[in-house]
Amino acid sequence: MSEPLNRRGLGRRLSALADASVADVLALTAELPVGDVPRIGLTGAPGVGKSSLAGRLALHRAASRRIGMLAIDPTSPLSGGAILGDRIRLDELAGDHDIYLRSIASRSATDGLADNLPELLAAMDAAGFDEVLLETVGVGQAEHAVRSQVDTLALVLMPGSGDTVQAMKAGIMELADLYVINKCDLPGAAQLGAEIKRIQALARAADGWQPPVVQTSIHDAQTIAELSAAIDRHQCWLAQAGRRTQGRRDRARYRLRLLLERRVAELIDSLDEDVLSQPLATQFTALAETLASAPAGPRSR
Amino acid sequence: MSSKADVEPTAPRLGQTSMAGIEVPVRAGPDLVDPTRVGEPGTMPFTRGIFPDGYSGRLWTIRQYSGFGTAEESNRRYRFLLDQGQTGLSVALDLPTQCGYDPVDPMARPEVGKVGVSLSNLAEMELLFDAIDLGAISTSFTINGTAAIIYAMYLAAADKKGVPREKLTGTIQNDILKEYVARGTWIFPVRPSMRLIADTILYSNEATPRFNPISIAGAHVRDAGATAVEEMAYTLANGLAYVDELLRRGGDAEKFAKRLSFFFYVHQDFFDEIAKFRAGRRLWAKLLSERYGVTDPKALMFRFGVVCGGSSLIAPQPLNNIIRVTIETMAAVFGGAQSIFTCAFDEAFQIPTETSAEIALRTQQILAYESGIARSVDALGGGYLVEHLTDRMEAEIIEVMRAIDDYGGVERAIEDGWLQMRIAERALERKLKVDSGDTVIVGQNFFRRDDGAPEVTETFRLDPTAAARVVEKYERVRQTRDQHKVERGLAALREAAARDDVNLVPYLIDCCHAYVTVGEMVDCLKAEWGEFQEPVRL
Amino acid sequence: MNTAEALATPLRGKRILVAKPGLDGHDIGAKIVALRLRNAGAEVIYTGLRKSPAQIARIAVDEGVDAVGLSILSGSHRDLVAQVAECLRAEDAADITLFVGGTIPAEDHAFLDSLGVRGIFTSDMPLDRVVAELAAALASADAA
Repeated sequence: MSEPLNRRGLGRRLSALADASVADVLALTAELPVGDVPRIGLTGAPGVGKSSLAGRLALHRAASRRIGMLAIDPTSPLSGGAILGDRIRLDELAGDHDIYLRSIASRSATDGLADNLPELLAAMDAAGFDEVLLETVGVGQAEHAVRSQVDTLALVLMPGSGDTVQAMKAGIMELADLYVINKCDLPGAAQLGAEIKRIQALARAADGWQPPVVQTSIHDAQTIAELSAAIDRHQCWLAQAGRRTQGRRDRARYRLRLLLERRVAELIDSLDEDVLSQPLATQFTALAETLASAPAGPRSR
Repeated sequence: MSSKADVEPTAPRLGQTSMAGIEVPVRAGPDLVDPTRVGEPGTMPFTRGIFPDGYSGRLWTIRQYSGFGTAEESNRRYRFLLDQGQTGLSVALDLPTQCGYDPVDPMARPEVGKVGVSLSNLAEMELLFDAIDLGAISTSFTINGTAAIIYAMYLAAADKKGVPREKLTGTIQNDILKEYVARGTWIFPVRPSMRLIADTILYSNEATPRFNPISIAGAHVRDAGATAVEEMAYTLANGLAYVDELLRRGGDAEKFAKRLSFFFYVHQDFFDEIAKFRAGRRLWAKLLSERYGVTDPKALMFRFGVVCGGSSLIAPQPLNNIIRVTIETMAAVFGGAQSIFTCAFDEAFQIPTETSAEIALRTQQILAYESGIARSVDALGGGYLVEHLTDRMEAEIIEVMRAIDDYGGVERAIEDGWLQMRIAERALERKLKVDSGDTVIVGQNFFRRDDGAPEVTETFRLDPTAAARVVEKYERVRQTRDQHKVERGLAALREAAARDDVNLVPYLIDCCHAYVTVGEMVDCLKAEWGEFQEPVRL
Repeated sequence: MNTAEALATPLRGKRILVAKPGLDGHDIGAKIVALRLRNAGAEVIYTGLRKSPAQIARIAVDEGVDAVGLSILSGSHRDLVAQVAECLRAEDAADITLFVGGTIPAEDHAFLDSLGVRGIFTSDMPLDRVVAELAAALASADAA
């Protein structure tokens, strides 16, 4: 931990990046250094208590690290607005802390993440944090999208919600590095843990990491400490044998894809009526030509 | 979102849907009434009233409400009122006292003495009732998060004055569940707060049997935006939650239910309100007897007080508020309220003047003694519309209560923020209806006068020196009290709070006697129980 | 986004903090406004009750908001608004647009203006007007 964090500066930079058009991103990110700050992702269905868990985890880890947090909330498709920070805010929790928390709206992203998320994370990397926590919206295919953006991915579940079956079907189970059974004081927690271990044993990953199952409750500080320790163990494991490099390549692919998808979506949205009534092949070519002639599109302001 | 709201509403509509959302028949006839459900006043299920002779036996209590700045000022005012023959006093506390902060706490400083009296320790309570015989008056405290402490302090003051506790009478609001969703003076998480409330009620039932240790309030959720149906439903659900807790802590429903009372607003519209109270009386009696097997009629009686006014009063054309309050008071009378507080017509924009306060009082007196509406108990009972609406209201209330049960009960609904979210959504609906003219407010969205409303002036009593004097007195108490007693008192309190099988009130009384402050007692309990974490959900 | 959509959501792209400073527990006004601002296209953060001026300023800065709305019905608006304005200044955030809602007597309007408050919204005001005035205040802040 070196210089004090320039909160105002970071706040402004994140706002500019969140608002950045595709062309803006291409222009701006030339300045951002490639960071190597460990990233922890928390994902899971709405209602499992991700936010309160993330808050307590952050507080626990903030004792020895400078933590930055990003939390994503869904944008309303009707108005384009959002209620962010729909959660127990960190300042509710006792103790002196300096954790930086930024709430982001998903905007046009439909994968459970947010527009320009890779750029926002890069800005967090560059800001001098020791660690960044990311909390996803928890709907859609958030688990798939967020996998490449973080180093350690924790899937948060809770007893009784029937998530496991859904998670199995979607192939999500194989993506997580840790399984967290939150609200473990509710009935069924132990059974859920056993079921996950069973599924896990069948789908053992090639790289040899055995995702642990951690039972947590926000009312029990010891469980938070255990979760934190499990994260530490995964980070150690990653550090050995250079496993983070593969992650970096996936990250770069996702970033490129996200930017292009956004640009293509913008172009499709603004296609003329008469183009859309043409045969599909004609539409496709028209779009590709427009993209080729103006790949980045306009700057935003 | 349509631009309907941009256009000035053209004409007020009456429509056939009441404010509570109930369809009102244009013509009500005998086919709408089931005569077997009407019943008799004074007998189960008390739809027509809890007393067979209604107000002719005993008129409702005219309870007018006022708060003053410092303990000394309040004391002077109380002595004046007592000289004038009033026997009921009401005490409003400032926000620091309500929320459990001492006057020197940084969160408290801007709020000391603003909306009520600062009562940080026994010395202030003694000043408040200096030269007043606590055995001869009834004191009502609007206090919730720190109700147990203020109750303990009141008893400690009585002890010091040599007044036997059995003579004490009055009320503490002591209703934390509504604080979490509509009023905000919560402190501890739900479970320990419920324990504290139950302890206070059970202790009071024994030590101060004439005291009313809880006033379960729907008023605030109504003022926040809930409909009449929801107001009653949330209140009854809260009431049952308290009954459950009291039973859990060893109480006997036949006994404690006699000292449970309720508190509501009366807004528009007229027949909704009457139906609401009749349905509430019927439901409470049925729930207590069916679910808990209570048999003593006195324990099944739904006793309630009301406020007429609140957010139904507006600043533009303020004299119109007198009419609103009159209609609301009539609804309260036809609904059978045990006590009525009428707001002054200017409360929306200033501290009531002597004139406006007097008119509020006269409103009740004219209705009581000139209009004749109080002569016959439940005078509208048996009427086609009133009975139909009572039945409809009852059905709707049951629906809402079922939804809360399905969610997992009030405590869970509160911890998750579900109830709060419902109230916020309803409030937004209500506001949008007013903005668009669907709901008519005479003088605000129709029948306006362009010379505008009186502007909001000072709505709170502000003596700029009061806060400093309060702090000074506070410091002096802290310096001159016996610090060993303080520490022993707090240690014993902490230990008792950690256990589930003791009543906390005696420990609070001991602390009060040692001049432990409200903030110190609250901090001690927070150390044991933690603080409520508000679920911010929209 | 076409013109009709732009008109219905004049706060699109704006980030707004709605806060409850001090001990006042009446939060319905704040919640209604937060929801309405969201429906007008804004990204809104609502702090919940019992926030200190320092906490409010900290959240405003970290979240990079364009405006902070303080809802106060306890009569302590003079002290609390002044404290929040001071904390924002200390965090180099005096450019954030400040607005206030609640029970604000007419005689205090000038004082609040002097603290930099750019909108005072009382509970009888139609929500559409709150949105319009806030959008105008933010537009002139952008232009400045």
